[in-house]
Amino acid sequence: MRPTRDTVAGLLGLGLSIWLFALTWGLPKSPFVPIGPDFYPRIVLAVTAILSLALIAGDRLARRRRQPAAPVARNYRLVALTFLVFGVYVLALPALGFRLATLLFLAGLQVLLEPPRSRGRWLTVAAVAIVASFGIFAVFEHYLSVLLPRGAWTGF
Amino acid sequence: MFELLADGLLNVIQLKYLIPLAIGTLIGVVGGALPGITITMTVIMVLPFTFGLEPLQGLAAMIGVYVGGESGGLITATLIGIPGKPSSISTTFDGFPMARKGEPGRAVWLGIWASFFGGLLGGVFLIGATGWLADIALRFGPWEFFALFIFALSMVAGLTEESLAKGLLAGAFGLIITTFGSDPIMSVPRFTMGSQFLVGGFPFLPVLIGIFAFAQLMTDIERARSLAGSDASAGQLVNLAVSQTRVVGEILARPFLLLWSTFIGILIGVLPAIGGSAASVMAYDQAKKLSRHPERFGTGTPEGIIASEASNNANVGGSLVTIMAFGIPGDAVTAVMLGAMTIHGIQSGPLFMSQETTLAYGIFAAYLLAHPIMLAIMAVGARWFLRIVTIPKSILIPMVLVLCVVGAYALNNTMDSVWVLGLFGLVGYGLVKLGFPLAPLILGLILGDQIEVNLVRALMTDSDLWLFVTRPISAFLLALSVLSVVLALWQRRRQRRGPTEPDVDF
Amino acid sequence: MKALAWGIAFLSLAGAAQAAFPERPVKLIVPWAAGGDTDNIFRPFGQAFQKHLGQTVVIANIGGASGTVGAREAKAAPADGYTLFAVHDFIHLTYYTGVADTSYSDFRPVCSVASTPSVLTASPKTKWQSIPELIADAKARPGAVTVGATLGSTSHFFPAIVEKAAGIKLKYVSYDGLAQRMNAILGGHIDLTDGNLTQKGKVDAGQLRFLAIATEKRNAEIPNVPTFRELGLDVVYSVTRGLLAPKNTPDAVLATLEGACIKALAEESFARSMKAQGTEVLPLDRKGYGAFLDRVDGENKALAQEVGLLRR
Repeated sequence: MRPTRDTVAGLLGLGLSIWLFALTWGLPKSPFVPIGPDFYPRIVLAVTAILSLALIAGDRLARRRRQPAAPVARNYRLVALTFLVFGVYVLALPALGFRLATLLFLAGLQVLLEPPRSRGRWLTVAAVAIVASFGIFAVFEHYLSVLLPRGAWTGF
Repeated sequence: MFELLADGLLNVIQLKYLIPLAIGTLIGVVGGALPGITITMTVIMVLPFTFGLEPLQGLAAMIGVYVGGESGGLITATLIGIPGKPSSISTTFDGFPMARKGEPGRAVWLGIWASFFGGLLGGVFLIGATGWLADIALRFGPWEFFALFIFALSMVAGLTEESLAKGLLAGAFGLIITTFGSDPIMSVPRFTMGSQFLVGGFPFLPVLIGIFAFAQLMTDIERARSLAGSDASAGQLVNLAVSQTRVVGEILARPFLLLWSTFIGILIGVLPAIGGSAASVMAYDQAKKLSRHPERFGTGTPEGIIASEASNNANVGGSLVTIMAFGIPGDAVTAVMLGAMTIHGIQSGPLFMSQETTLAYGIFAAYLLAHPIMLAIMAVGARWFLRIVTIPKSILIPMVLVLCVVGAYALNNTMDSVWVLGLFGLVGYGLVKLGFPLAPLILGLILGDQIEVNLVRALMTDSDLWLFVTRPISAFLLALSVLSVVLALWQRRRQRRGPTEPDVDF
Repeated sequence: MKALAWGIAFLSLAGAAQAAFPERPVKLIVPWAAGGDTDNIFRPFGQAFQKHLGQTVVIANIGGASGTVGAREAKAAPADGYTLFAVHDFIHLTYYTGVADTSYSDFRPVCSVASTPSVLTASPKTKWQSIPELIADAKARPGAVTVGATLGSTSHFFPAIVEKAAGIKLKYVSYDGLAQRMNAILGGHIDLTDGNLTQKGKVDAGQLRFLAIATEKRNAEIPNVPTFRELGLDVVYSVTRGLLAPKNTPDAVLATLEGACIKALAEESFARSMKAQGTEVLPLDRKGYGAFLDRVDGENKALAQEVGLLRR
């Protein structure tokens, strides 16, 4: 039988709490603090473990199923690609610098989400990317005293 | 006191404060009207812009965002039936049917005026009670703070609609996230697995932005067949003309409803870390229970709109009391405001009112002035805001993500925060997919550190555990926590027999 | 697009090689939250510093984990003079107590900035008017008098030195940062804490009590407060703050920074804002500050050992 969503959620919670609980051994005690740094996390993790078990048990026992909502076609491929593009952007930020990385990210993600079919759309994509990336950098550096990252490779 | 308030109003009326306030209100209205953009996200986007401003300028802008955002959400909620932000969820229940029945102008303006009156009444309370609350706050030692945060945490039981176990588990996850990194007492690295990156822990704001932004945006992406479009369709740009006197009369003819909704809003606002969505749902629920015609709710009755909108604006006033008197955030928005105050070197807490009198009354004044400004913006622009809702999502989503990155980076000037943002983007989306409610998670996240610190402090000061129940304020708060859980459980049982309530938040 | 990007990158590199330091804004990392003691000293310093440096100085607060997150960030920054690090004695303490792996020797000194003497501060809810009364009471009930402190940092070491000199036993409660300690001491939830002259207003209002100052001589701002020395306790303690640069920063760049720093410290406006904070301006140059850091490092190691926190 396929495990249901709540069982998966409960198992994840249980696994997380057991794993972290194991890590609390080996935390050093302090001469000044009556309770160690392991005291509070252990309480929280124990509660989490119990709740996870309750969730699994409740799900197994009550076979009561809600009517599933009307099926919606879900585009998980696009979600995964968006996460990927965002990940690449974040990795590229320190190397390329804010302006270049943001320019490429804005252009890339706009094209990914909605491939432009006309020249006007391409122009919009380019305009949004250029104005936003250079504009944000300039506004932050000159007016808001926040230095957004410069590229380690490019110095820009 | 009223002299100080008058000074505060005169102070804020200066253009250098009035302009950020008005711009903030405008941005708030726009952000609030955009579905999927919460006020929290809007305030975070504004946050870096306030770094270079004077403290009161920055705070005025943020208060404007807060007040404007609470009001802006109702436009989308009533006209399109999509809540512009979580706390306008219950506005959709009656606002949308009313608009559909051919009275969109009445629905929108009922909401706007209810926001206006609710907000101003909340403001009166804010001014009357802050000094008084500050005196009590000094009496709060670690025991009382611990009990207060436990009480706030006990709200998780009432916040969860679908599965109680999942709500509680989400709250526990929030608490667990705060235990990563250096422990708050001796800076012992905890759960870092030898990684220097984890020593800094998971800072609150990047975690919050990551979870909320990605949970919302990715859900939009996965559902969309085409992202060239947007949520609004031009056909919905309807005539908003309506008799203002009639609408105001409709609200003022129900003084009890208005006061009670405002009171609920303030109460939820004062309690740390609960927020406007719970307030508006509770007020809606109360209005229905106390109404002589509960069956009309959901079909376009004015009471539903008034209750929801009056309470979510009053909630703003209550949240401001909490940061000013206790120095602890009432919700995610005030958490960001508190961060902005810290950045400007302002210490909130019991001494705030006496040490920063000008600023404190400036905040009151900004809050009060934000309401007429909001009204003016609505009068001019109600139909224009809908056009902003028409920005294609394929442009909106990348822009929002870039602003999240900038917000996270600017917060601590380190890429670490941006890694945390991305990591918790994945976590947030995963949790939503597993059906966890996000509101309890955020509650746990906000309270986790404070619960631990105050528990340890109490035990360091005196190892006697009985102090938690023998100190009167602490005992009272702990008793309230038990009561709140029992009440929530009892209401759940009762509700289960009735028709199912709509989900709160995400 | 790519070619364009590299073109821009190349141009900017070529430009950077020719221009003299500093040709773009300098980032000054303050490893604590904005609004803290350190931040309050380096913000006015930054104003004066950028005037003499001829470039904007941007304060970047990188808080977290007792200042060690900012220290790590500063250590990893490129050694080109565009990233500087605002430091105080915590860097020695966190290194010796094993909290952090970053030591002052990972940096090169630029200049010292200011020194803030500690004042032992008592809650008005306690009955002591003076140090001898405190000592007598603390001896009568050892381990009952509570002190609010950031454990393992300077506000912990100062009371620990007093404790040792007076032969008493105190109880430490963790309160991170001066603001939190002040809220707690005003409510009487702790008895003592490490304060400084910024709290003078509350003392004048009767909300707090200064017991003794840890300087050689009495301070002109608070002439009624005795020094520990007068009371027969050998306690002299202050927190010194200065400027460091990553280890491989070129000498020419360091010299430019040092010159601007020393000129900034001589500014009248900076002196005034330091006076308002009960802090003395301490202008030591690269060499002087380097020698100072070496000496303080040794002292802190001994100190960590004495109070039983040495982990290295």
